[in-house]
Amino acid sequence: MSFFKPVQALVLGVLLLPLAMGNDYVLHMLTLWALYSLLALSLNIVVGFLGELSFGHAAFFGVGAYTSSLLVMQLHWPMWITPLAAAAMAALLGWLIGYVSLRIVGPQFAILTLGFGAIVLTITNYWVDVTRGPMGLSQIPAFSLPALGLDFSHAIHMYPLALLLLIVVLYGCHVLQHSRQGRAFIATRENRELAAAIGINVFRTKLIGFVVATALAGFTGALYAHYLRVITPDLMSLSYMSAMLIMVVIGGKGSLYGPVLGALLYTFLLEALRSSGAWRMVVFAALLIACVVFLPGGLVSLWRRRQGAIA
Amino acid sequence: MSKTALLQALKLSKRFGGLQAVQSVDLSVNVGEVVGLIGPNGAGKTTLFNMLAGSMAPSGGQLFFDGLDCTGASAHQMAKLGLARTFQITSVFSALSVWENVLAATYRHQQASWMSAFFQTRGFRDEQVLMQHRAEEALRQTQLLHRNRDTAHSLPYGEQRKLEIAIALACAPRLLLLDEPAAGMNPEEGAKLVQLIHRLRDQGMAVLLVEHHMRVVMGVCDRVVVINSGEKIAEGSPQEVVQHPEVIRVYLGREAVHA
Repeated sequence: MSFFKPVQALVLGVLLLPLAMGNDYVLHMLTLWALYSLLALSLNIVVGFLGELSFGHAAFFGVGAYTSSLLVMQLHWPMWITPLAAAAMAALLGWLIGYVSLRIVGPQFAILTLGFGAIVLTITNYWVDVTRGPMGLSQIPAFSLPALGLDFSHAIHMYPLALLLLIVVLYGCHVLQHSRQGRAFIATRENRELAAAIGINVFRTKLIGFVVATALAGFTGALYAHYLRVITPDLMSLSYMSAMLIMVVIGGKGSLYGPVLGALLYTFLLEALRSSGAWRMVVFAALLIACVVFLPGGLVSLWRRRQGAIA
Repeated sequence: MSKTALLQALKLSKRFGGLQAVQSVDLSVNVGEVVGLIGPNGAGKTTLFNMLAGSMAPSGGQLFFDGLDCTGASAHQMAKLGLARTFQITSVFSALSVWENVLAATYRHQQASWMSAFFQTRGFRDEQVLMQHRAEEALRQTQLLHRNRDTAHSLPYGEQRKLEIAIALACAPRLLLLDEPAAGMNPEEGAKLVQLIHRLRDQGMAVLLVEHHMRVVMGVCDRVVVINSGEKIAEGSPQEVVQHPEVIRVYLGREAVHA
């Protein structure tokens, strides 16, 4: 169960280095990477561990972002509670959607989640009184600890926090892979009938996984909203959804570090390609295709070839 | 109907539309007993088997496990009660290693939550060690220990069948249902299977097997139940059953006793 090995410590060191240099732009990108990693890890529970395709994950991310922002802005809830409330709200919706749709699995489930995502996006767009519609919310209060001089809308303060949360969630996923519950996830993914035959309640197991994943997505949405301080219904759109799926699949679904690597690639490669102007998305798409064709197991499979099986 | 019946089916029936697949079958398996279920193709063996395992709800009759009414219980509920099964068409977690396959099967006997795993509590660690012992024991009994790092789908067919049994054993069941376990095994592997079943019975496990290989059925079963067209036509010791005129007519007469 050794989670921290020298390699991990080295990587962590490298990740902390930009803090010393204090380049705002790089730190901002790294913060986004850490937040996207959390999001990708949550989707990975559904896509990688449970083996179900969900197109509704962006909606849970958005619900979390809106819930936390609105609770602070409209109801003046204390800000350290609202991300948890956002997670609870997303989990509640996740439970509802999962309860209705997880009895059906495979493509039908994917379509149901697609429909759910569209409904949430539409409501957010048209419920102008509360969500301000396509205008989105701006001037969302940032987390801060004035006593310590910390303002978490600044990357230099937010990045270490996001990184810490990422490590905690990574450790949680690592532990999950080796726990009873995690093995049950994998078993239902691999063979439903046999999973039931060894005593696993397949529906309940999938529901638990789905609710946990949606809660984490909602929580990440809240962090994202209070960091960027501006959100629009775009968060719930299919472009965010496809971004998340790209991170998980390119990185390596079902693995521990795959989604994190995928988020890294997505965040920095898209930035690096800015210089190619109009060709940016074309080049990016071509790279993605090459990746899927030559590395069907994702980026982590490069490493795994050396290390032996990780997942 | 001994009072130590672990599994007891009373007038179990299954109807698919106009087809009566199983008609009012009584069947019991006692503690420490090996019962064989035989019959020609299409006799309803697999349907009956699936009803016993909870993967198919009966349309009539009752099912008891250790005196508890579990008519209509689902597969995972039956497994929780202590019933483990194999499948007619080999069913393993093919993308996982042999070791992960059997470790997953210890699910029923684990209690440690994710939280206790997160904090690596003593309870969690002790349980992990215990489950690893159980998984190791299941692999040892099926002579698959040397294969533990191999991916399940890379095993030859005969070993995949053994892995299925190992998975069932790692569940530490009280009743083991085997659906044609010797299918695809060579005579030597079949003989080892017979030995294994004897050993399990001696450990107090009850076994019900559906089997085509008569040598396996004759060699291992204490009692044999014969069904044809969904109805039970004979029951008794292997010797009694092979001499039963009805059995000879519907089954043995058509498919001569072969190994």
